[in-house]
Amino acid sequence: MPQFEQVSVFGSLIFWSLVSFGLLFFVLKKFAFPPILNALDEREKKIRGDIEDSERIKEEAQTIKVELEETLKAAHGKAETIVQLAQDEAKKVLEKNLQETEAKVRQVQKDAEQEIQSSRNKLLQEVRSYTAALTIASTEKFLKKALDDADKKKLVEESIEQVIEELEKRQNN
Amino acid sequence: MESPLHHFEVHTLIPIHIGGLDLSINNAVVAMWVGLAIVAGAFMLVVNRGISPIPGKLQSVLELVLEFISDLVFEFIGKEEGKKYVPFITTLFLFILACNLIGLVPGSYTITSQVAVTGAFAVGIFIMTLVIGFSKHGMHFFGILVPPGVPKIMIPLMVPIEIVSMLARPISLAVRLFANMTAGHTVLAVLFGLALTAPGWVSWMPFGFTVVINGLEIAIAFIQAYIFTTLTCVYIGDVIKLH
Repeated sequence: MPQFEQVSVFGSLIFWSLVSFGLLFFVLKKFAFPPILNALDEREKKIRGDIEDSERIKEEAQTIKVELEETLKAAHGKAETIVQLAQDEAKKVLEKNLQETEAKVRQVQKDAEQEIQSSRNKLLQEVRSYTAALTIASTEKFLKKALDDADKKKLVEESIEQVIEELEKRQNN
Repeated sequence: MESPLHHFEVHTLIPIHIGGLDLSINNAVVAMWVGLAIVAGAFMLVVNRGISPIPGKLQSVLELVLEFISDLVFEFIGKEEGKKYVPFITTLFLFILACNLIGLVPGSYTITSQVAVTGAFAVGIFIMTLVIGFSKHGMHFFGILVPPGVPKIMIPLMVPIEIVSMLARPISLAVRLFANMTAGHTVLAVLFGLALTAPGWVSWMPFGFTVVINGLEIAIAFIQAYIFTTLTCVYIGDVIKLH
């Protein structure tokens, strides 16, 4: 087997392989490994940082979502309350207006009725007064003397004029 | 027919002798340099282009290798302690992988099929683990020879066993890589020899096998580099944690 027989080349093989290894080690350690290892470290850090950031952002988004949902829920509740209050208020106003209108109508009706009653009473009073006056005047004339038809007519005319004067007098008073 | 072990022979290309030492440059060394030049070239290309936050194809491959080895180191040595060993272990993995793979190119040479080379690395790593152990724990490092929970009466028996076990580590590390590379290439050489010498109507069979075995050898190149690296991490982790 040449690997055991060619003993004379052992020195050169060992020497050059160790020297070459040493040289390769020096070159790679000095120039190649540091930048590549740094790049790997930085990439690892960046990826880790990005993952942590995304986790954090996700948590923040979740918190914001929950807060928004709560705010939305509260706003919905508030809006419902406001609508309810407005409806209640509107109902109250409506009822109040209705009651006021009804009361007003009732008052107007009552006033009208009173006025009609008063006018009627007044009119009846007047008619009663006229009748009494007419009766008194007529009776007075009939009692004074027996008169012919022309006189009777004249007397009635006079009575009527007297009543009218009486009325005008009252009216003027 | 040529011996299937013939292609393991080393041929001197540029003779260099310094103080009685033969440091000649041979075909194995040149093949190794080509492999290492590809590795270093790939890294320097990526670095010179500028490391992009969004990696390209080559940068992705190199990052994958570094991350893979880093995870391996962190698993066996620990994250804090392991950080300083990542460059060494990664270079070791890339060195063995490049040497294993470049040897699969026809006409090239697998320097990891030389037991002298795998042995040198294994012994080097063994010595390194001893240095790390003593520098970290001082004389307490001898505690590694006594596994936890062993009754005191067993200690005289356990210590020699642990010493043998410790010494066997570099040997197994060296032999495993050398034997796997040698066996794979020998099988390939035998099959290819058969394909060349067999009659035309049957020669497609061994040739087909060489293609399949070559695919398998690529996988073995990765697996052996991975095993060598993993065991190195285990040994370093052992001396740091002391069991």
